[in-house]
Amino acid sequence: MGALLTRWRAWVWVLPAVALLLVFVYYPIVDNLRLSFFSWNAFSPEPRFVGVDNYTEMFTDPVFWRALLNNIAYAVVSLVFQAGLSLVLAALLEELVGKRLRGLLRTLYFIPAAMSITVAGVLFSFLYNPRYGLVNEALQAVGLGHLARAWLGEESSAIWSVIAMSQWQSIGYTAVLFVVAMQRIPREYYEAAKVDGSGAVRTFFSITLPMVREMTTLIVILTISGAFLVFNEVMVMTAGGPDNSSQVLGTWLYRKAFFEDDMGYAASVATVIFVITFAIAAGQLALSRRRRYDT
Amino acid sequence: MNKHRWSALSLATLIVAAAGCGGGGTSATPGKADLAAPKEKSGTLTMVTKFANPEYAPYFEKVVAEYEKANPKVDVKLEQVGDQAYKDKIRVLSASRDLPDIYFSWAGDFTNKFVRAGLAADLTSEIGPSTPWGSTFAPAALKAFEYSGKNYGMPLDLDGKYLAYNKAVFDKAGVTVPTSFEDLLTSCDKLKAAGVQPIAFGNQYGWAAIHYITQLNAYDVPAKTLTADYNPASGAFTDPGYVTALKQFSDLVGRCGTKDANGLSHETAQAQFLSGKAGMHYLESVEFEAVDKAKPPLDWGFFRLPAPAGAAGDASALTGAPDGFLVNAQSKNAGLAVDFLKFMTSQQNAAALTKELGWLSPVKGSASTANANKQLTDALADMDKAGNFAIWLDTITHAEVASAYLSGVEGMLSGSKSPEQVMTGVREAAAKAKKEVG
Repeated sequence: MGALLTRWRAWVWVLPAVALLLVFVYYPIVDNLRLSFFSWNAFSPEPRFVGVDNYTEMFTDPVFWRALLNNIAYAVVSLVFQAGLSLVLAALLEELVGKRLRGLLRTLYFIPAAMSITVAGVLFSFLYNPRYGLVNEALQAVGLGHLARAWLGEESSAIWSVIAMSQWQSIGYTAVLFVVAMQRIPREYYEAAKVDGSGAVRTFFSITLPMVREMTTLIVILTISGAFLVFNEVMVMTAGGPDNSSQVLGTWLYRKAFFEDDMGYAASVATVIFVITFAIAAGQLALSRRRRYDT
Repeated sequence: MNKHRWSALSLATLIVAAAGCGGGGTSATPGKADLAAPKEKSGTLTMVTKFANPEYAPYFEKVVAEYEKANPKVDVKLEQVGDQAYKDKIRVLSASRDLPDIYFSWAGDFTNKFVRAGLAADLTSEIGPSTPWGSTFAPAALKAFEYSGKNYGMPLDLDGKYLAYNKAVFDKAGVTVPTSFEDLLTSCDKLKAAGVQPIAFGNQYGWAAIHYITQLNAYDVPAKTLTADYNPASGAFTDPGYVTALKQFSDLVGRCGTKDANGLSHETAQAQFLSGKAGMHYLESVEFEAVDKAKPPLDWGFFRLPAPAGAAGDASALTGAPDGFLVNAQSKNAGLAVDFLKFMTSQQNAAALTKELGWLSPVKGSASTANANKQLTDALADMDKAGNFAIWLDTITHAEVASAYLSGVEGMLSGSKSPEQVMTGVREAAAKAKKEVG
């Protein structure tokens, strides 16, 4: 009897959270899936059932594939910079730089991450401006004027320019995460390695890298799922243009829903985003569970 | 990680919320709102505009305050948001059938969407051309909000698109105001030879190019065909004039513009013109105020984008359209809403619109030398001459068609699409729109 009461009491405590989750997380997901089988917009009185038409249209739409490819490009570049390069950066900061300078550099690298993404986007729009932008001016100053271009206005460079801005903003953040992980590595390992005559590079590969494995996994997953949810920076800098060349799934969903009034199509894009990020999250869960059993 | 996941979900939530709330299933038959002025003016009016910009907002706040002062029992809840934010907000409000009593709208299919969904009240009995209120407006402005012979909107401002030119730059290069499209291209060559940028042109978000295409389509395609194609129920876009217009625009950009237009904002280009570094700039009459405020002052004039020789369309059409306000068909205060709009377009308030914002009002006789400068009164005289308004291509057409045009022309400017390919995309979009409208 007492146990039953305790259980009920537990339910009462978790119920508000469960209710909120159901209403604001699970119901929208399920309803979004349902709505992706309808043709409707904000003005149409009745959604019209169209089966998988929205999905067929989406999968035969070259812009959808371009958006998906752009997301993948985002993920790959982000992995190289935010998981790879920032790890090296963190190791350099920890091992080679003097203590006082280290604090300063850490702050400097971190500042972009503390900046609003919209502000950073606007700032970079100025840097990329073909007329008075710093990027073109700098290229001209060092005799590379032939490389100057309208960075955000050309199909071949728009998405890459946005991705580059994103790396500038996030690399410091992941580097600091790595620094934190490295500080938790017992100093004895490094001393032992030194006694054994190991150099800086060898120490990095044999001690630092294996010891920050958990953090690396976390950052890899964070980076990849972040790359599929990117929206703000693209919206601010190019709005997906020119000619949809810099669309990502998020901005394509937005354009379909709120510009072209094609909510059904937008709902199917949302489903694709959900499936991708859900798969990544599931992978993360599975990985972290296995790791727990290992130890 | 969690933050990211939430943002994805919130996108989905937004859409579902929009749908879910709309589940009430209001009928699509146009609401017969009671437009008669209430015996006693009292209650709450809600109104949403897209004029949150600090230079525009005070005018609307002032009109509201004055109306409330004259009618102490009425409370007007005015909400003003930005141009882009408005497009999202009004869609969410429409989907949830939660529209304010009075709301802003662009002329063309943007307004017609509300009409088709039964969300805009039929105002013909109040603002039809033969009514007392209706006869105070320029007929062309009223016509912009006409659908199936009925009037659904109150025009707020008059806006026309013109090529502004720097007189000093023209004189220096020995160029006179061009009288035909071909003449314009030759003038560009001369300006270029004199070392100035002929036309300052920024197309970052695509619409700047669309304004040129709006005008060229009106010149190159017979008016009847154009009307049929711009209607989503009958849009085909097979007339060869459409390709001609795109080719002409391509020539224009090649000889008068720059390659980096897609990467420049309209404002950056405008700054170039204002600082005397460019000969011409294609702008709206609502932007005249900005040109007048240039420092150092600019000696400038304006002319219409000249028509190509022997063009098949309407040479007297002028790109532009009034913006306006619609009344919610489900509004319980429709009568009061109409009363407020009448107040807003009184001679006095219309004159203040010109004086304070530099916008021309469609209310007849509201602009004079007392409240408008020479350029504005000249523009008004020119708009009176215009056979009809060629409404912005990206608001008159169905959103699918507008989108195909916007991205297609961007592609053409960056060299990845030919005019024919752009039109193929437009035709596909038109077919889809036709299916949707049924």
